[in-house]
Amino acid sequence: MKMPPMLPLVICGLLCTSAVRAQPLQYVLDPDRSWVHFEVLHFNTSTIRGRIGPVNGLVLLDAAAGSGDVRLAVRTGSVSTGLGFFDARLRQDDLLASEAFPEAYFVATRFTFSQGRVATLRGEFTWRGVSLPLELTALRYACRLDDSAALRAEVCGGDFEGEVLRSEYGASFGLPLVGNRVRLLVQVEGRRPIAGSQVKTP
Amino acid sequence: MKKFALVPVLAALAAVATLAGFSTAQAQTTTYTLDPTHTFVTWEALHFGTSTSRGRFDKKEGKIEIDRAAKTGKIDITIDMASINTGVAPFDNHLKGKDFFDVTTHPTARFQASGFSFDGTKVSAVQGTLTMLGKMQPVELKASRFNCYDNPFFKREVCGGDFETTIQRSLWGSTYGLPGIPDNIRLVVQVEAIKQ
Repeated sequence: MKMPPMLPLVICGLLCTSAVRAQPLQYVLDPDRSWVHFEVLHFNTSTIRGRIGPVNGLVLLDAAAGSGDVRLAVRTGSVSTGLGFFDARLRQDDLLASEAFPEAYFVATRFTFSQGRVATLRGEFTWRGVSLPLELTALRYACRLDDSAALRAEVCGGDFEGEVLRSEYGASFGLPLVGNRVRLLVQVEGRRPIAGSQVKTP
Repeated sequence: MKKFALVPVLAALAAVATLAGFSTAQAQTTTYTLDPTHTFVTWEALHFGTSTSRGRFDKKEGKIEIDRAAKTGKIDITIDMASINTGVAPFDNHLKGKDFFDVTTHPTARFQASGFSFDGTKVSAVQGTLTMLGKMQPVELKASRFNCYDNPFFKREVCGGDFETTIQRSLWGSTYGLPGIPDNIRLVVQVEAIKQ
């Protein structure tokens, strides 16, 4: 008895889980949970913190193939430190340059995975019109099923960390009393809608 | 000229600090008034075990006394809980409501401390109490750095540092969403204060 050659493919199409599909999955960043916090040392004494965001963008992930593609943008004019006049100062030309360069970008295609989880991503950070390599390292990374919203979704995200030297991008005001190293703490959660019928309730 | 826009603001702050300053003039104790432009409490809470949500309290005031010879000190800082700021308005409103900080009933939180640990001449930890939601609980803040320097804008000595601690919010009766919304909340504190 011969098996019709198409049948295994049809069965796989109905039953195979996403992990087996050799196709990247697309996640859209959740603006409520996607922010950049930065830290800069002030007079070698205390750490200035600020927030920029939300981060907008798309992430494509193929954990089985160990590959990914991330394209993110953030409006630097959104900077928020808790002090209006300080925010206005930061937006000026010698720091964030938010008028001339309203957005900063991070584009990365070099991913490493560890036990199926995103571990590092290397790409290019563009700020003030200058593009330089940047590596972000995952401090934690997890995925979950969000059943709470009207639209079910797989949510993947984590905390990522990186560092830039602001002088390399031309943001030189206040050096060296205000530090050159800018630590970036990136919270990110991406959502991938899932039709209800395709998911078993865990 | 806009490069120097910060200077008048700082000068005004220094003037306010001067006016506020003459209440304490004892032998060794030096009084410092908080520099609100370099004093912030940021909190971190893990969201569904996935990523860290952060928020900040933007309004605060207070006074610090330090006697570096006797290695003693005092801190009294009041935080305006309605000034909570996460960048997400609906999230802020939820945090201000009865589920969390209930800011109508408890508009402020207060950190008072008189236990100072020194490492040489540098403050290394501060032991005190945090009053929040009407409950007072002990809290120890550990310094990850501490330093004093001559600030060119204020033309005064400024002392400050980075402090942190992790509190269990349930000790103050904040139990909403446990355990999905975690009990442990990390507090990261930047502080700088101007010598009076």
